[in-house]
Amino acid sequence: MIKFERFTLENGLRVLFHKEPTTPMAVVNVLYDVGARDEDPQQTGFAHLFEHLMFGGSVHIPDFDAPLQAAGGQSNAFTSNDITNYYDVLPAQNLDTALWLESDRMLSLAFTPKSLEVQRQVVIEEFKQRYLNQPYGDAWLHLRPLAYQKHPYRWATIGKNIKHIQDATMSDVRDFFQKHYHPGNAILCIVGNFELATIKEKVNFYFSDIPSQPKSVRKLSPEPPQKKFRIKTIQRKVPASSFYYAFQMGKRLDQDYYLADLLSDHMGNEKTGILFTELQRKKKLVSEITAYITGSIDNGLFVISGKINPKRSLSELDAALWPLLDQYKSKKMSQSALRELILKLQTAKAFQDQGLLSRAMSLSFFELLGSAELINQESARFENIQTKDLQTYAQQLLDKNRCSLLQIQAQ
Amino acid sequence: MTQKAIDRHIAPALHPIEHISFVAPNAQLLANGATLFCLSGLQNDTSKIELHFAAGSTTSDPLTASLCAGLLINGSHQKTAKQIQKALDAVGAYYDVSLTQETAVVTLYALKNQLYNAYLIFHENLFGAIFPAKEVKDLVHSRRQKFLVQEQKVSFIAQRYFQRSLLAGSAYAKQIQLSDFDHADRAAIQAFHAQHYLCGLKKVYLVGDLQEATIKAFALLLEQYQSKLPQSAVFEWQPEQGATHIEQDGALQSAVRIGRPLFNKTHPDFCSFSVLNTVLGDYFGSRLMSNIREDKGYTYGIGSHIVESKQFGYLVIGTEVGVQTREATFREIQYEFERLKTELIPEEELNLVKSYLMGQLLKSADGPYAMLDLFANVETVGLDLSYYDRYISEVKAVDAKKLRELAQRYLIWEEMLLISAG
Repeated sequence: MIKFERFTLENGLRVLFHKEPTTPMAVVNVLYDVGARDEDPQQTGFAHLFEHLMFGGSVHIPDFDAPLQAAGGQSNAFTSNDITNYYDVLPAQNLDTALWLESDRMLSLAFTPKSLEVQRQVVIEEFKQRYLNQPYGDAWLHLRPLAYQKHPYRWATIGKNIKHIQDATMSDVRDFFQKHYHPGNAILCIVGNFELATIKEKVNFYFSDIPSQPKSVRKLSPEPPQKKFRIKTIQRKVPASSFYYAFQMGKRLDQDYYLADLLSDHMGNEKTGILFTELQRKKKLVSEITAYITGSIDNGLFVISGKINPKRSLSELDAALWPLLDQYKSKKMSQSALRELILKLQTAKAFQDQGLLSRAMSLSFFELLGSAELINQESARFENIQTKDLQTYAQQLLDKNRCSLLQIQAQ
Repeated sequence: MTQKAIDRHIAPALHPIEHISFVAPNAQLLANGATLFCLSGLQNDTSKIELHFAAGSTTSDPLTASLCAGLLINGSHQKTAKQIQKALDAVGAYYDVSLTQETAVVTLYALKNQLYNAYLIFHENLFGAIFPAKEVKDLVHSRRQKFLVQEQKVSFIAQRYFQRSLLAGSAYAKQIQLSDFDHADRAAIQAFHAQHYLCGLKKVYLVGDLQEATIKAFALLLEQYQSKLPQSAVFEWQPEQGATHIEQDGALQSAVRIGRPLFNKTHPDFCSFSVLNTVLGDYFGSRLMSNIREDKGYTYGIGSHIVESKQFGYLVIGTEVGVQTREATFREIQYEFERLKTELIPEEELNLVKSYLMGQLLKSADGPYAMLDLFANVETVGLDLSYYDRYISEVKAVDAKKLRELAQRYLIWEEMLLISAG
């Protein structure tokens, strides 16, 4: 149970406070409700490029990092298809420094041409390092547009291609800030050994004069239910052929998410999962195989991926995989297997919740989804699942007509 | 409430860190000579046990050590790999085995009321491990396939070349080669397990709000191991120097590794050099990040680190840069060395780095899990927690002149090993 307090400033900023009496540190987490899904299809990679620019100095403060480091703290951020999340971790007695920095960059950025030029280059190098200059690094750049045809999840956070980053202009940057970076589009979460009254006073002091702006209405094209199997094969000089089966699943808060999470854990378990025992161990078709879900806010993907053994083929794997998936549709999982899955998830969650930063991020994310209170309901949502629910769901999920397959074939 | 007007140009006053408490775990010498360290005081239900075995990659040939670690809990006289995993799943436990050059660390995570049950399963199967031929064959195969993928990455190529050149002539330079996978030997793995695990328990860390009786029960089980500690491989520096480039056709980026022999925490210059290293490349505002990423945009990231082992330490600067800016990157790194050797670090920058390091140390001491890692970092090299008090006073005391002297002594470009791949 993670306890928290919530209040909202007049300008629309939502604030969460979670008291942790045992720590000498403080976490300040600022989530902005903007991700790659909010980008123009002609200007992809922008939310992420913008995240880099947020460290290039704000309207009254030339350098974001130096004052935070001088306070003994550090900062970082990440961008996903759904959100952009910034965080500062610093000694609790210097909380003001983080609030001062975060409030100033919420107010306005410095927008220097030099910062744009440099961060453009940095992001291009990041693109090469993570996606292009290693085998299979670009798989998701191909899988996304195959699995999504309408929804903006069809491009990755890094962008569709380097050109969109190269072409970004200063006026694009200003427009993006205007539209997405304002109090009503942000959630601030503070964790540490403080009193609520102190937090209210400090947050008011630093954030209340930031002008409010109307929240823009998000109009995303929903991804229509897939009717027909899709396949894309790329020929490539790689050490082994690889495959990515992606099935359409539901939204983060749908019951789908919890069912798919359990199914992927059960199927993909490294020693006991059916994918390993049948396809890797028994049939020797693959050298590795796993199952996982993307867990995005809008409709996500349930993915089975792995690599083919030498002298075995992608078509042999395909022929062997489908009958295995059918077993989930025709048979119920045992009660004890379900209990074990849930216990493992709960153990993992207990370890995850150890971290102050992890708690701050989760609270902010659930607040975005509807209410931070949801963080304390996750466990019950898993516990309410019955084996027959999993079977019914597998019948719907693991339908070949709702599957997109990307193959990277070794030459 | 009346709102005070805010002047955003004025930074809030900074409050220095007055004190950091370091809590030593309870140490208990077991009958076999291994030490059990317990850290309680955790205010949640999580717990872990960490077993340190003298089974690192330098204690035998690296492939045998690596396979043995990978196969530890993969079939015993009593249970198959799948049955063991199911039993661990039933108590919600996770484990991992990590291998350094000197030590194999086996960590088991579970909720505190399940940790002992989880360990019992683990214990039985670690002692009864039979390394089934089928399991060995499968792991060898899957490791070989992963190795083939790794070999395509410029960072992997540069890092391996760097390590074997810097540590040349010692057991630490030995690396797994692709052809080794063809000669993996089950009998060697079994022998390694008997000697380095069953007889090689060095120490155990327990963290969690566990009862006295549980800790006693753990101690009894742990005393079933023997603790005949083999001597660490003898280490003497015979480092190579100079530049080597490994060309990779079609690479978009080059991985760069630059470094030299240094020392670990036991050396009198270590604390002061840590400050110099941070200024150079060990935080986001460092000289290397400011110049090569934030000014030139050559890279997504660049860092400088002191890598420590029980017997030695070395400096390594690592980055991945666009192929066309590789030479320029070398020049800029050399330029930053020269600045540190000729100019005094400005007071403001030095104070910032000192405050930053204090904040990071405070964070590293936050909570029992972090505290245990901090303790292990000094215990491994034969020191105790008083090291951190010394570190704090030395970091506070070191001045720009001393740091320039250290730069002149250690940041000598001609003595560096310079590796690039891509």
